Amino acid sequence: MNILIMILTFCLMEGATWLIHKYIMHGFLWILHKDHHDHSNEGALEKNDYFFVIFALPTIALMYFGSLHHFNYLFFIGLGIMLYGMAYFFVHDIFIHQRIKLFANTNHRYFLAMRRAHKQHHKHLSKEEGECFGFLFVPFKYLKMYHNSSKK
Amino acid sequence: MRQYTYILILFFTVIVCFIASFDKRIKFDQYFLPFLKAAIIVAIPFISWDIWFTLKGIWWFNFDYTLGIQLFGLPIEEWLFFISIPFACVFTYYCMNNFFRWEHLIGFNNILVFTSIIVCSVIALLHPHQTYTLVTAISTTVTLIFLHFIVRATWISKASLTYLILMLGFLPVNGILTGTGIDHPVVNYNSKTFLDIRILTIPIEDAVYGYTQFLLVIYFFYQFRKKRDQKLPLK
Ligand SMILES: [Zn+2]
Ligand SMILES: [Zn+2]
Ligand SMILES: [Zn+2]
Repeated sequence: MNILIMILTFCLMEGATWLIHKYIMHGFLWILHKDHHDHSNEGALEKNDYFFVIFALPTIALMYFGSLHHFNYLFFIGLGIMLYGMAYFFVHDIFIHQRIKLFANTNHRYFLAMRRAHKQHHKHLSKEEGECFGFLFVPFKYLKMYHNSSKK
Repeated sequence: MRQYTYILILFFTVIVCFIASFDKRIKFDQYFLPFLKAAIIVAIPFISWDIWFTLKGIWWFNFDYTLGIQLFGLPIEEWLFFISIPFACVFTYYCMNNFFRWEHLIGFNNILVFTSIIVCSVIALLHPHQTYTLVTAISTTVTLIFLHFIVRATWISKASLTYLILMLGFLPVNGILTGTGIDHPVVNYNSKTFLDIRILTIPIEDAVYGYTQFLLVIYFFYQFRKKRDQKLPLK
């Protein structure tokens, strides 16, 4: 049951990320997210990285109160968020933005489409316009794009 | 022979790295001074912590295994511990930095800091009465926040990987000190003050506070090194 809650949280986080990205990061916290789009920050680290704090605080709270009640569902919601956070950093920082040259030459259409969709998101340099705010869930049109090419 | 146990452990930890420092391909000897400054600065809070914990009876020393010279309740070997262990650690880090192209590990900083801070904070909140656990978790959290968000250090993942490799040396050294393979431990712990999760005989807290100490020594090492040779690009 708890594992189920964890997996559900993980999936819901995709939706939450979409909302947060669209309305908060491209909203009143644009100052932190801006350098992720225009790469105005010098060095390898971005102000955008501070967003991790916003995800870490509720995670800590959930896992703490969950543990106090014999590791009940709250704990597993927290764990789900933490795992999503790890997946996010892994895929977004490492795979998509190639902070590490890992899997750079993948041919898998899902990953290609994901990278393509995120590039599309990055094309927009200003806060108002934008598309593809999601992350692990890739819009079908991008999947289709690579579906055809992978058949060739 | 028994009273040389602790000092010999330190001696063998240092000697290999010390001799290798003069190797032409390594030349770590040019960084002895920045290292020493860094180690001493970091030793101040950690030795104070050590003295305080010894006073409180969180841990105590078995003087059968030490030379018998004491300062503020700590055997002289314990003071040297805070120079010799960091020496071996920084030496290893320095060598890995010279021989590997591993700059891309930067990408892992976010995941690492994110996960560690969550885990340490939750443990600190859950064990406020186990002093050793609490102090270790808090200092690790504060150090990681400082290095990642204030200093914006790019080398956290590199240092962490080095520390993971250093565990190969840490296990025997700290293992013997905490009682693996000898009749009585050199350092004894009050089991009420920590989680009592042990690797061999080593409390898990030891590994974590060693990590924090290591990160801080590396940080100050970079600082003093930067002052020393502005010309060389900092890795
Ligand atoms: Zn964006
Ligand atoms: Zn980008
Ligand atoms: Zn991005």
